Amino acid sequence: MEIAAIQTHGLTRRFGALTAVQDVTFTVASGQFFGFLGPNGAGKSTTIKMLTGLLEPTAGTIEILGKPFTAGALDLKRQIGVVPEGMALLGRLTAPEYLRFVGRMYGLERETVNRRTEELLEFMQLADERRKLVTDFSHGMQKKLALAAAVIHGPRVLFLDEPFEGVDAIAAGMLKTMLQGMINRGATIFLTTHVLEIVERLCSHVAIIHQGRLVANGSLEELRAGVASTLPGTETEQKLTLEEMFLSIVGASGQEPAQELSWLA
Amino acid sequence: MAGIARGEDTAVGTGAPLGLMARRQYVALVTMRWRMVANNVRSVQGAFEFGARGVAFLIYSIMGLGLGFGLGAGAYSIVSGGHPQLVSALFWTVFLVWQALPIALASFQEQFDLSGLLRFPVNFSSFYVLNLVFGLVDVPTILGSICCLGILTGVTLARPALFGWTAFVLAIFALFNILLARTVLAWVDRWLARRRTREIVSAIFLLLMLSLQLLNPALHQQNRHHGARNSVTHPIGSDGFTEFPAWLKSAFAVVPWLPPGVAGSGVYRRASGDATAALESLGVLAIYIVATGALLGVRLHAEYRGEKLSEAPSAQKRNASDSRWLIDGSGPVAAVIEKELRTVPRSMPLLFAIGAPLLTVLVISTVFKNGALGGRPFQLAFPLCVCYALLGFTQMIFNNLGSEGTGIQMLFLSPTPIRKVLLAKNLFHGALFVSVAFLAGVLATLRLGEPNLTLLATTAAWVLFALPMNLAAGNLLSLTMPYRVNLGRISRQRGSQASALVSMLIQAIVMGCGVAVLAICTFFDKRWLAAPCLLVMAGVALVVWMRVLAHADVLANRNRDNLIATLAKTE
Repeated sequence: MEIAAIQTHGLTRRFGALTAVQDVTFTVASGQFFGFLGPNGAGKSTTIKMLTGLLEPTAGTIEILGKPFTAGALDLKRQIGVVPEGMALLGRLTAPEYLRFVGRMYGLERETVNRRTEELLEFMQLADERRKLVTDFSHGMQKKLALAAAVIHGPRVLFLDEPFEGVDAIAAGMLKTMLQGMINRGATIFLTTHVLEIVERLCSHVAIIHQGRLVANGSLEELRAGVASTLPGTETEQKLTLEEMFLSIVGASGQEPAQELSWLA
Repeated sequence: MAGIARGEDTAVGTGAPLGLMARRQYVALVTMRWRMVANNVRSVQGAFEFGARGVAFLIYSIMGLGLGFGLGAGAYSIVSGGHPQLVSALFWTVFLVWQALPIALASFQEQFDLSGLLRFPVNFSSFYVLNLVFGLVDVPTILGSICCLGILTGVTLARPALFGWTAFVLAIFALFNILLARTVLAWVDRWLARRRTREIVSAIFLLLMLSLQLLNPALHQQNRHHGARNSVTHPIGSDGFTEFPAWLKSAFAVVPWLPPGVAGSGVYRRASGDATAALESLGVLAIYIVATGALLGVRLHAEYRGEKLSEAPSAQKRNASDSRWLIDGSGPVAAVIEKELRTVPRSMPLLFAIGAPLLTVLVISTVFKNGALGGRPFQLAFPLCVCYALLGFTQMIFNNLGSEGTGIQMLFLSPTPIRKVLLAKNLFHGALFVSVAFLAGVLATLRLGEPNLTLLATTAAWVLFALPMNLAAGNLLSLTMPYRVNLGRISRQRGSQASALVSMLIQAIVMGCGVAVLAICTFFDKRWLAAPCLLVMAGVALVVWMRVLAHADVLANRNRDNLIATLAKTE
């Protein structure tokens, strides 16, 4: 039996009286491109922080590549790459300096770090900006650098929190190709994004979190079938887009604004 | 959204700094600040920070009262003694306190970055007023105001008729100081933001150190010649003045025309009954205020127009050798040391924090040499100079993760234990610490002459004790009470009064230990024993440091949420 790349059981996180994530259980198989969706404040970033060791769960367990994952599981950390919410950049370094720093923090050899740094800078079209400090990068450039840093050590599991936000269309196309290439070579990618078109195009499996609880989980086809069965008058389930499924599942479909903002032009 | 500016909102306008719109904005800002304070107190750390601010306020007030009392006594003595021309010296003291403290305390105090307001319809005059007024209740202003009140009280007690005029002059002088402090910080930040000007500022700083080094012997030589002939030294007295070189006399001649001199002469001339001359002095002071206000206006206007303080872009394609490895080896410890090596030279505030105490060592060593204590050189001047030079490391060591910003997440994500990160930072800071101690020792030796061997050994042993103690305490404080530091700016830092107080307390204890050991050994007439005792203590401190490092990961994971939330927040 193949080992799951990510497995959670009863994952819960409370902040005082607020329960941000409650009893979340799912499995991501190796080699899957997994989309993790949810409205703002649903608990996506909190979940990804727990999955990457940035936040301690209040309850529940996490297994990465078949082993229990805690903040001290350093061997497992070598196997994962992360683009976190805040991008985790060091503003006072240049892009090559930052990538070399990250590579060394993951224990790569000097030659490997140098080679991969150059390759990644070229690939991310940051080679012309090698003298610029990261703090002076545009948001999109910072995003590309954060992605480069997340993959420099060749992770088997990649967590991406809104990786395409602020990235131009050309770079986004290249990134999609790169991520698809990683999947083809056996890596697992856990992606959160609000751009449902990207999820629809890239992900084979999707989970939806709403108000801290997992409300849907499965392949796109399974979700489509599930949603179609609950919608009266839906004749061909193939016609449902991910956006329609998402709105249907989180209960926002057909809702009108609570009140009209009459003072807006 | 154009509709927002129409209808009922057109009544408020966006014009004058005291218009309805501006007043609403001021109220909104004050309310926002108040709510932030109230919300902060809800967390334990916030409540602790609030308490620390209260304690700090009390300490600074006591310091201010002491200083104010001294200046008041001085003012009374000067005016009642019939020497009102010396009142300028008091104004110079206030000036130095008011202008030196903002930069020295900038890293520890929470300051407001009002550039975030520019997304709102804030007019320039309101922006200017807010920059002037917001954060006015800071340490330099409190101390400066108490000093002014002290002078006013002293002058009034000696000559009640001078109350009104002196109060007026002091108020104008206070306004000048507030303007100047803000102007200096605003321009320093601007200069430090560009690589070229940062290099120029560094060069000026080094030149200043060098010139002070040269100036002191020059003054000494003159004093010695003069003393040999007259047996009495008058450094700036009427006779003594003629003994100085021409360039130095020119420098002294300028002093009365500088703002503290002008303000002082305003009071002095009024006391001498020359109302016209007093008004002239006030006029000159007003010119200074206008000029300073204009300089601040230039800077704020650039910011108002949307200027972003950042590195000058030099985005030319260079070859790969531009970013050579500084430290060989692929390990994470080498990586962190290299990162620090690259980051610190790019941060003028950090370089300033390390360099400024060295500059002060030059000054205080000269004071000690001149016989500040009863005409005899101060025997403990050498260790005191070395201790003082190490104060510049306070922020670097006691908040060693503060400059990571969002990068703190990377440290937690990587498979490198936090203890290795701290070890690397400690090694780097330790090397700097020892280097600066050595440099301070050399500077003090140049000024004071060679210290005796016992004192030298005691000082070296104390440094070896202080280093691991500071690093151990620094690691604990960095993990439990972090605060975000912007390495590119001197002003507008978030700061933490609580961390500043605790770190100062720890440094006082470490210094106190050294003083106590030396005092006890001296009391029993066995001063030679101080160095071995301190070496034993250094061994204990080393063990403490290693134990703290060993537990760093447990502590870091326990405080992980707070560390990430505090250092990576983007508010």
